[in-house]
Amino acid sequence: MPTLNSSVANEHRPLESERSPLIEVAGLTKIFAGQPVLHDVSFDIRAGEVLGLIGPNGAGKTTLLDAIAGLLPGVGGEVRFDGKLLSSRHRRECLFFLPDGLRPWDEQYAVHIIGFFADVYRRADTDVADAIHAVGLEAVLHKRVKTLSKGFARRLMLALGMLAPHPLLLLDEPFDGFDLRQTRDIMGLIRAVAARGRTFMLAIHQLADAERVCDRCILLADGRVRGAGSLQALRALVRQPNATLEDIFLGLT
Amino acid sequence: MASPDTFQQQRAPFSPLFRMALREVMSGRALWTLLLLMCPLVGYSFFQALTLYGEASVAARQSPVLATSLSPLDGVLVPTFGSAYVAVTLLFPFVAIRALGREKETGTLRLLVQLPYGAFRLVLAKFLAVLTAWLLASIPVLSTLVVWRASGGHLALPETLNLILGHLLYGALIGAIALFAASIAEGAATAAIITLAFTIGSWVLDFTLAGQPGILDWIARLSLTQVLRPFERGLLPSATLLGVLSAIGGFAALAGIWVPPGISTRIKLARTVACVVVSGLIIVVATQTKRSWDISEDRRNSLPLADEAALKQLERRLVITVHLASEDPRFVDLRRDLLAKLERVVPNFEFQLAVARQAFMTAATDERYGEIELRYGTRSDVTHSTSASEILPMIYSLADREPPAATAGADYPGHPLEANGQAPLVLYLVGFPILIVAAWWLSRRPPRIVRFLGRAAR
Repeated sequence: MPTLNSSVANEHRPLESERSPLIEVAGLTKIFAGQPVLHDVSFDIRAGEVLGLIGPNGAGKTTLLDAIAGLLPGVGGEVRFDGKLLSSRHRRECLFFLPDGLRPWDEQYAVHIIGFFADVYRRADTDVADAIHAVGLEAVLHKRVKTLSKGFARRLMLALGMLAPHPLLLLDEPFDGFDLRQTRDIMGLIRAVAARGRTFMLAIHQLADAERVCDRCILLADGRVRGAGSLQALRALVRQPNATLEDIFLGLT
Repeated sequence: MASPDTFQQQRAPFSPLFRMALREVMSGRALWTLLLLMCPLVGYSFFQALTLYGEASVAARQSPVLATSLSPLDGVLVPTFGSAYVAVTLLFPFVAIRALGREKETGTLRLLVQLPYGAFRLVLAKFLAVLTAWLLASIPVLSTLVVWRASGGHLALPETLNLILGHLLYGALIGAIALFAASIAEGAATAAIITLAFTIGSWVLDFTLAGQPGILDWIARLSLTQVLRPFERGLLPSATLLGVLSAIGGFAALAGIWVPPGISTRIKLARTVACVVVSGLIIVVATQTKRSWDISEDRRNSLPLADEAALKQLERRLVITVHLASEDPRFVDLRRDLLAKLERVVPNFEFQLAVARQAFMTAATDERYGEIELRYGTRSDVTHSTSASEILPMIYSLADREPPAATAGADYPGHPLEANGQAPLVLYLVGFPILIVAAWWLSRRPPRIVRFLGRAAR
């Protein structure tokens, strides 16, 4: 029985209870055309952890990430960073959101996009080379973004996330488009970066992936948080000591 | 690669943002298509202008008086640049819209607004990229200056630069409108419709309201097509300059308001109203300024130097009341040939239009129709002539001053040139298009990965 993240990282990490909250989300509410798509969503993200946002299609995962990133207007509730209230316009100073399915500046060459981010954030060439190497982007640097395969487009986005210096990265469906081996490699990369102190929040609809890479999970359905915590805590919540994340999700939703 | 600190906006350099904006504009086909279309358009206009100017110059060989009316500004530059004006009006919006519209359409804007730049710095980078694109698109028309000079043609630098400034302001205004349209529209097609509504709507406004009395005439003067006219006459008017700059700033500010996706439409609308009110007030104030400079080599917008010196000495208020309809050709001539010139030199001058447009239709019933009433201090006089040579002596008489003697040697000599337009036509129909296609092909070649490959390739 796999446990959350046990299969991809061996580093010693602090226990769940030892970590301090980096981001606190309280009472996020969003209504579209009279229908609530986020309903009083509250949770925290702890420094250095990989937090999974789990839910079926239409659960509100992308809306929640958009709301946290400050890209969505008319969102109720608040987001705090290190205990301080974070207005929408200051979110980009603390966190960076990589949306799902995006091919940024698709007429440009991949190397130009990488170079753009490197210049914006004043990254040293060695850091950029490390990021390119880490996500395996060398072979397609000379290609236009619109000609990249889905997997390489994701790698490009991930490389941009690596170059952004923010303490928290929000990734929407980061493993979509990868095969089994590639998924494992990218999970290993995320865990390695998290081990160096960076925090991740991943929206994932594949529960098996979430179980392998995340320290804790937020279970979201119909815009409401149905459960939150490590696999052990969630098992305790449903009173099934051997339950998988799938069992837990089905039990709570 | 990771840092626990927050990233502060002020640390972000501007140049990468501008370079990326420029790459976006240049990677689209719109700019290259515009360049290709510019070549025959500009080339044929230039050819026609050269041919007509050459024919007039041949005639001027027989009559030296005719030569004095041969100005390269009127004969060659204005018609040639006029073709670029049409292209900029109808095609340049598609180039400018791409600077922002493509990022909106593909969702890249959601990434871009997270970068450490404020909305107004983002728009500034886009606007500068659009201006650079205008410069690139203007290469064919600017090259005609080189060709004209190489053919032995005369160029007066101040009036030429003034004409280029007028076209630059017009291009920048179209670019700012296009950026605003791209910021509020979901797709490039909608943005194009909005921009063309401004430009073509402006033509309609100009045609329907020009020459109307009062506020309608003022509205007609807000038309985009009015921007270029003074520059084409060799005039640098502060009202147009400040008005256009204010309008550019206003549209850019509106684009900055509408770019961020995380702000509600209600707040954006409130900011838009505030921006429109402030920009409108600035434009109204700017267009009230009367200062203008005659940059033309032949001083067509000025009275003779001796008259200017004498008129500057007038101490009392000079009021000219014109009993003509504003669309009456006599008033148009009077305004251009005398009133506008007096406005620029007489310290305390005012002219009034005493007839509404409707009165022109029934001019036969108005006994005073056609009168030009001059009032200087407490003295007044009336004439029916609209000629400066008639009215100026009357002004001197009212002011008890002797008409000044004409200054010798101040006449414009004219610059006839029997140029052949055939060779330039070949250049613009064949040479330039080949060069543009080659430049486009070069711009699309994959980059050589040097910068990061050293370590990345291992």
